[in-house]
Amino acid sequence: MTPTRRSRVDVAQSVRTLFTRTAVLVLAGVVAGACSSGESILTIGQEDAVSTTTAAVAPPSTDASGSTIAPTSTVAPTTTQAPLAEFGDCPVEALDGADGPVGITFWHGLGNDLENALIALTDEYNASQDRVVVDLQNQTSYDSAIDKYIQSSQDGRPNVIQFPEYTLQSFAQSGTLIPVEACIQASGYDTAPFLDRALDAYTFEGIGWAMPFNVSNPVLYYNRKVFEAAGLDPDDPPITLEELRAASQAIVDSGAATYGWVVDSGANSGGGWFLEQWFGRAGELYADNGNGRVAPATRVLYDDSTGVELLTFVQQMIADGLAVSVGDNSGGTDAFLKVADPVAPGAMTIGTSAAMGLVFSALGGGLIPGLTAEDVGVGPMPGPGEEIGAQVGGGSLWIVGEKGDEETAAAWDFIQFLVSAESQSEWAAATGYVPVRSDSVDIEPLASTYATDPRYKVPYDQLLTSVEGEASLSPVIGPQREVRVATANAVAAIFDGADVATSLADAAAQSNALIASYNQRN
Amino acid sequence: MATDLTLPIDGADDPDELGARAADGAATVDLGGRPERSRGFDEPTGLRRVGRYGLLAAVVAIVVFPIYTTLIAALKPGDKVFDNPLVPDAFTLDVIRAAWTAGNLDRYLINSLIVATIVTVCQLVTSVLAAYAFAILRFPGRTLIFFLFTATLLVPAEAIMVVNRDTVDSLGWLNTFQGLSVPFLATAFGIFLLRQVFLTLPRDLLDAAAIDGVGHFGFMRHVAVPLVRPTLGALALFSFLGTWNQYLWPNLVITEQDMNTVQSGLRILQASIANEPNLVMAGTVIAALPIFIALLVFQRQLVRGLTAGAVKG
Repeated sequence: MTPTRRSRVDVAQSVRTLFTRTAVLVLAGVVAGACSSGESILTIGQEDAVSTTTAAVAPPSTDASGSTIAPTSTVAPTTTQAPLAEFGDCPVEALDGADGPVGITFWHGLGNDLENALIALTDEYNASQDRVVVDLQNQTSYDSAIDKYIQSSQDGRPNVIQFPEYTLQSFAQSGTLIPVEACIQASGYDTAPFLDRALDAYTFEGIGWAMPFNVSNPVLYYNRKVFEAAGLDPDDPPITLEELRAASQAIVDSGAATYGWVVDSGANSGGGWFLEQWFGRAGELYADNGNGRVAPATRVLYDDSTGVELLTFVQQMIADGLAVSVGDNSGGTDAFLKVADPVAPGAMTIGTSAAMGLVFSALGGGLIPGLTAEDVGVGPMPGPGEEIGAQVGGGSLWIVGEKGDEETAAAWDFIQFLVSAESQSEWAAATGYVPVRSDSVDIEPLASTYATDPRYKVPYDQLLTSVEGEASLSPVIGPQREVRVATANAVAAIFDGADVATSLADAAAQSNALIASYNQRN
Repeated sequence: MATDLTLPIDGADDPDELGARAADGAATVDLGGRPERSRGFDEPTGLRRVGRYGLLAAVVAIVVFPIYTTLIAALKPGDKVFDNPLVPDAFTLDVIRAAWTAGNLDRYLINSLIVATIVTVCQLVTSVLAAYAFAILRFPGRTLIFFLFTATLLVPAEAIMVVNRDTVDSLGWLNTFQGLSVPFLATAFGIFLLRQVFLTLPRDLLDAAAIDGVGHFGFMRHVAVPLVRPTLGALALFSFLGTWNQYLWPNLVITEQDMNTVQSGLRILQASIANEPNLVMAGTVIAALPIFIALLVFQRQLVRGLTAGAVKG
């Protein structure tokens, strides 16, 4: 008993000694801080008061902008010139008068290989000239970049920001950004080599708001080894939904994999974005007023017979054990990992073409035992109808307003670099994005990449073969981020067996309420 | 270490009954299991004992499992992570090293340390001063003001986060240490905790000090604060842990990568290297390590400080 007690006391004492030292330090802090004694508490109280006042007096700058929006009734794609002047001009010459390099900040939401490629491009730009220095800041995701942008005061915002395609209307109407078209016109920039579809995708009410930069669309990723084991031709992946089902059936029947197709219900993948893409491929409108391209959308149309038919098809495949859902796929990797699952894998999944670099490099690094980058096949997104096709997805570059002439000019200079033929060639070859201009395809390194690894060319071909028309342009909806979440919730329920028509009708009703509320505010 | 919760019996031999025993009120509280290991009043025997330890072991297994898998993944080379994910069949520290470099973790750890230190020191100062006032001083409206202070405990931090963020933004303090720390420089919890302990100090001490010509400030510095040391230690540890583990706030006020704390910085690491999950695991291990060590070292103080005043000595 005694030794136990002694050792315990010893430990206690040593800990106590240690603690005493800490306490002395803390006390020193207390004493040092004590000079300003009572004021601390008072100050805290005042800060609370200040914060309340500030919030009441200064509304977020995004709210104060509605008045500058062009009247929605006069919209026509040809009336570009007149309203453009209302959104502030682009002083492209200001850079010439600057003393010393102009520093600008660029927020992006990319990770992995995408981020590395972007860092490489930015470094290249900073090294290539001495007038502009770009500070690249990773905001970890699109959603996080959007949130931080909305929360920040104009001072806290960057000069250039990358936003995903589904924010077009809300940021065009925020009144805090300068349309890139103002800069294009002011500098006489030649957009002839650009893919029309990419430019059109970021045009709202006749004004080109953002510069397409990282254009992606969904493609089919599949395990070639499983295709071979199931007696399917790995060079001929399914294009139509019927073929997708037949291939899945063959895979499951042969036992080559547990499931044929891996689906997910994420808002920016299977639960929202892919559905928009399927509507585009089917030539059907997802939202009214020409997908919001003729005039701002007032309601969604995805609960029509096309939507019911498409989701019934997926639900049936899940019910038949041919497809499996991985849930909301929030990190964007769950569906891919399910294809690599050693226990109950699927053979195919639809994913953004932007993940190509990530998938290949992860497999190249030996992340998944027994699966190499060469085992992954990439095909066009299977979907309704016989013809392949896709809408412009991904992200674009926006110029933030009220930053001063020099910084605005610097931002435009940087954007021109990022979308130059050379940069886009490099960018697409490193990532799996579609270059925003056709001349990038003919120069290195993209020319070699497309020649040696045709998988990279799939999203490019798919985008170019799409049928022209409003349906082939992605839907523009004011609160599209929220609409996608409502849709994704319904899709998740449908995957779990809920009634398709009812779930879609509910989600559409929710979406329409969101849109009505948004349109009323803007 | 410290698997039993027996507290050091200091203060018991202390002749100064009034002071030390009151301050270390909890020191004599026995949380089960005396040093001589006599059966406690609720110690079961036989099968019941097996059942109880079985249950405890199961709970421990559930709690430890995610930590175990994290550690295993952090110590395995990249190409072995999905190979027997539960078996530590390969060992390397390269992953930890790679995560340190790739994640910019040294910078983030320093930021976390600075912010946590600022907040801890300031919370101690403000808590001591306010608690002393509420416990010892007599002034009109004391009860009401104390009630208002404690009422803020009912307001969740998330409820005022937007307003706080706007304030910090309008002060131009985004991406600064003051922006990271200012909303947390005073804590109703700390004031409440310290007030309860100050209340256990006998008023005779104050009277004696007054006779000796010591004012409130001197009494606080030389008598009251030294006597509530254990509680101060616990509060310091609590503040430090709480600040260190903050995630939402740094994410709201930081847009510059270099200003991230380690918790929000991990998010960048995670976003940047989704193809190397073991690096993220290694990053979380690195982020958790300092706080884990602090807890091991100060566990006694934490328990002692928080139970101080629970049972009057």
